[in-house]
Amino acid sequence: MKKKEIINMDELDPQFKYEIASQPGGEHILKCVQCATCSSGCPVASVSDKFNPRRIIRMAVLGLKDVVLKEDFVWYCAACYTCSERCPQDVRIPDLMAAIRNIAVKEGSIHPAYREQGRLIGELGRLYEVTEFENERREKLGLPKVKEKNREIAEIYGCTGVGKVVL
Amino acid sequence: MSKNEPRIGVYVCHCGLNIGAVVDVAAVATYAQTLPGVVVSRESTYTCSDNGQRSIQEDIETHNLNRVVVASCSPRMHGDTFMKTCETAGLNPYLFEMVNIREQCSWVHTDKEQATEKAKDLVRMAVAKVQLLEPLEKQKSAVNKAALVVGGGVAGIFSALYLANAGIKTYVVEKKPSIGGHMAQLDKTFPTLDCSLCILSPRMADVGKHENIELITYADIQDVSGYAGNFHVTVKSNPRYVIKENCRLCGVCAEKCPVSLPDEFNVGLKKRKAVYIPFPQAVPNYYLIDADHCLHLTKGGCMLCQKNCPNDAIDFDQTESVRELNVGAIIVATGFELYDATQKKEYGYGRYPNVITNMDFERWVSADGPTHGKVVRPSDGNPPQKIGFIQCVGSRDEQEGAGYCSRICCMATVKQATMLREKYPEAEIYVYYTDMRTPGKGFEEFYQRGREQGIVFIRGKPGEIEEDNNQNLIIVSEDTDSGLILRNTLDLVVLACGLRPPEALEELTQMLHLSRSPDGFIMEAHPKLRPAETSIPGVFLTGCVQFPKDIPDTVAQSGGAAAMAAALLTKDEIELEPVRATVDEELCIGCGLCEDNCDYGAIEVKRTEEGMKAQVIEVACQGCGVCAASCPQKAVTIRHFTDGQLLAQVTAALEPEVIL
Amino acid sequence: MKYALFLGCTVPVRTMAYEISTRNVMKKLGISLVDLEDFGCCGFPLESIDHDTYLSVAARNLAVAEAANVPVMTMCSACNGSLLKANLAMQDKTTRDKINANLKPINRQYNGTTVVKHAARVLYETMDTIKEMATPLNLKVAAHYGCHYTKPSEIYEDFEDPEVPYSLEELISAVGASPVPYENKKQCCGGSVMGIDESVSLEMVREKLSHIKKAGADAMVLVCPFCDVMYDINQKRIENQAGEQFGIPVLFLPQLIGLALGLTPDELGLKLNRVSVRKLLKTLGDGNEQE
Repeated sequence: MKKKEIINMDELDPQFKYEIASQPGGEHILKCVQCATCSSGCPVASVSDKFNPRRIIRMAVLGLKDVVLKEDFVWYCAACYTCSERCPQDVRIPDLMAAIRNIAVKEGSIHPAYREQGRLIGELGRLYEVTEFENERREKLGLPKVKEKNREIAEIYGCTGVGKVVL
Repeated sequence: MSKNEPRIGVYVCHCGLNIGAVVDVAAVATYAQTLPGVVVSRESTYTCSDNGQRSIQEDIETHNLNRVVVASCSPRMHGDTFMKTCETAGLNPYLFEMVNIREQCSWVHTDKEQATEKAKDLVRMAVAKVQLLEPLEKQKSAVNKAALVVGGGVAGIFSALYLANAGIKTYVVEKKPSIGGHMAQLDKTFPTLDCSLCILSPRMADVGKHENIELITYADIQDVSGYAGNFHVTVKSNPRYVIKENCRLCGVCAEKCPVSLPDEFNVGLKKRKAVYIPFPQAVPNYYLIDADHCLHLTKGGCMLCQKNCPNDAIDFDQTESVRELNVGAIIVATGFELYDATQKKEYGYGRYPNVITNMDFERWVSADGPTHGKVVRPSDGNPPQKIGFIQCVGSRDEQEGAGYCSRICCMATVKQATMLREKYPEAEIYVYYTDMRTPGKGFEEFYQRGREQGIVFIRGKPGEIEEDNNQNLIIVSEDTDSGLILRNTLDLVVLACGLRPPEALEELTQMLHLSRSPDGFIMEAHPKLRPAETSIPGVFLTGCVQFPKDIPDTVAQSGGAAAMAAALLTKDEIELEPVRATVDEELCIGCGLCEDNCDYGAIEVKRTEEGMKAQVIEVACQGCGVCAASCPQKAVTIRHFTDGQLLAQVTAALEPEVIL
Repeated sequence: MKYALFLGCTVPVRTMAYEISTRNVMKKLGISLVDLEDFGCCGFPLESIDHDTYLSVAARNLAVAEAANVPVMTMCSACNGSLLKANLAMQDKTTRDKINANLKPINRQYNGTTVVKHAARVLYETMDTIKEMATPLNLKVAAHYGCHYTKPSEIYEDFEDPEVPYSLEELISAVGASPVPYENKKQCCGGSVMGIDESVSLEMVREKLSHIKKAGADAMVLVCPFCDVMYDINQKRIENQAGEQFGIPVLFLPQLIGLALGLTPDELGLKLNRVSVRKLLKTLGDGNEQE
């Protein structure tokens, strides 16, 4: 038998909820009444046990910071905004998930898929590489060429410090 | 020493630790002693206690004080207390000034040193003002010993009966053609399952025939003027086009009437005619014609009702009538409106026939409803075998503009689910809830009984209802207790809609100068201790217009409102506050700005021998000061808040050295 | 009317059919498009990494359009949402000053005046003309709205209803086709979970395709390249995995409208569609011959 784990609340982080609340998008976390409107309409929760927005908010309020930031479930939110439209307390869950992800990034727990997307955007100015090959194909289809690289985003990364995380 | 030279006593209160924990009360009292005119200055643990008051009275006598300053809590809390203290000791109560060093100082500051300095500043300002105060005398006004109850639901019915039984002449004005309100539409009441109309209709009948009650239905309040003890209310009655005495309720008129309309009493689930009686137990119990839809009244012709009435009860010559009621007190009992479920689009009310509201349910389940009490699926008339209830629809929902809990919906749903269980013992019944709230006598037991009858309570609010091709309803939702996501296909879904303040309330609150709380309901005078009074003297309130509540709470509050009104109406005369506007006619140029700005119609520009001059209608004036502030000539003064008094206070705030 | 066409990242490389059909349909409707070469990523994926970086990257595009003084037409719903959300945030002066500081090194500044519209919204607003010009299509079409075309509603003001969306069905009817209702219509395509857990997104896609198949639609129509990747490009793969055949042609909205406006399959890039549209075109051809 696997021993049941009891969570010692002294080891949790009671400040975590305030940290989220001070992050853009996370402001409304403490309004949540756990009504489950979000999890009830969530398209991801309906196909996967990995993601339950209501449970994530609960864990965050309880201070389970390590679990919330290190497990990958916060990255499962599809940002479809279904819950956001319906949440009776206007918690703005997709923005809240983004806020938690932002904190995870700062704490060194960026999801590899997002690191890769961030890198591509920084290096290319877009998510998918456009080379001469693509531009030739576009021309054949009667489409105008697009600029192969845009360096401005890398400069923005420099200002905000994201370059250090993804590049 | 001249007789008028100020001899001021200052009393600084600890209010236990409320003030004492933040403000150095002793230091403030010592400081006050140094202010000009102050003869005695003391600190006290509770100035409002008998001891504290006695000390003021003794000082007035022994030190011959002619001004008193108390620095403690809000004047709304104890202003009257200390004015009476002064009065008892022979000092005119308007020679007293109160300083709020609690709400405006100790409760809002944490820095003790700065809070103490602020308390000193506030006391210095009061001492500067109190020197200039003048004695004022209260005027008396006769009380008109009649009452008006606005609204004829359960709240209005009980308020009126309590007043009338105490021997007070009471008018009841109801907008609709019958009294009874929402309670008359309910089939049964929780938690006892009493038949709603069985318990209400005898009281409705009492209202209709009580010798002290004059019932005015199908009528609107058009205007209110006056003040406590002496209100004038203009009421417009709509014509019913039916002569009460002649109508024998035979119903021939309705049989012949060709116009079919949704029946409001049955929330549109049944039809009525343009000539109709709202419901069988209606009070007053006679027919009326809906002028907006009657063929004769809208287009001319028809008159089938008149031609066929065996008793000549139809009278198309009736017109609206306007009358003025003179009353001493008004009880507002205008109730609530149900949340409009079509706003919550994700639940499909109005689009999916088998999604109904809690009020729809009451009519389906009622013997007088569309199916004589058989609950069926509206789409096909079949009995439902799987029924879901969704709680908190339009309540506890900031996106829908109501953060509050409507209080009655949990129990109303338990009641409805219990009734369904009785009618359909085999049915599966699910209640989707956020939190079940059962704080009332017998409520928790009723809820528990529902659970024991097999009603399944699922914690988790559905995000959406979908409809399949058979017009069944699909709810996919989380059961937070098990953490499972459940898909439930239901025959019928009942939305537990919350309560809202009625739309028409805005007009009435403006006429009566009432304030509303952020939730839109009428603000009571004190949330705990004066729940049946408003901020306007002589205007009381009861029932859901103050906040959603169930029937027993409504009846209890109606008793309170009636008692408060009776306390006023059993007096022969009441005292009027002397804090009012006065006009210096020499300065007044008759521009009329004051009249334009006055909310109470209490100041008028009139032709005099000296030309156009503003005149104050003393009894109507509330002393708000808008006229004085807007007067370009400084011709209007508010007694007890004169420019001189206020400027002294301001100067003392800005320049302590001027005083010292 | 003139717009700057905002391609975003996915359209110019992975869903060129969308771009071809959009350009040609807009031309047919007399709406002119310009290309601004400095447009780049809309910033959407960056919101999960760093809020200010996202706002800066999105605002950079808005600044490019502002300098050219043209409204923006997006094709990707995620781009549309991302730009509009940033646009709303940039109306606040404090935020604007902070973000403009990040744009200063690249000599850009955004003052908050750019208008952004989704191509489908532009088509919806042109519906009367489309109706007049359209030859009715005898098709049953399932509308897929996706998410960011209607949500969050605060950035779309009065356009669309997130709970009871209507614009695509109205456009389907406007070209004489029949909109087909199906279960869980508003379901998300799962595109943004693809990089995190493929099995989850593919299951979301499978559900949607089976609901549409059950409803008996000839095709589905959509307005976002992300969604198209999920339903068109991945359809075969899901069929193989799930052992379930769908064969549902996936049309971009301009492709459907273009067919009704008489544009050729080439002008609509139809040969680039992964799920074959041959049968669909044949149905249309037969239907038209019968008329």
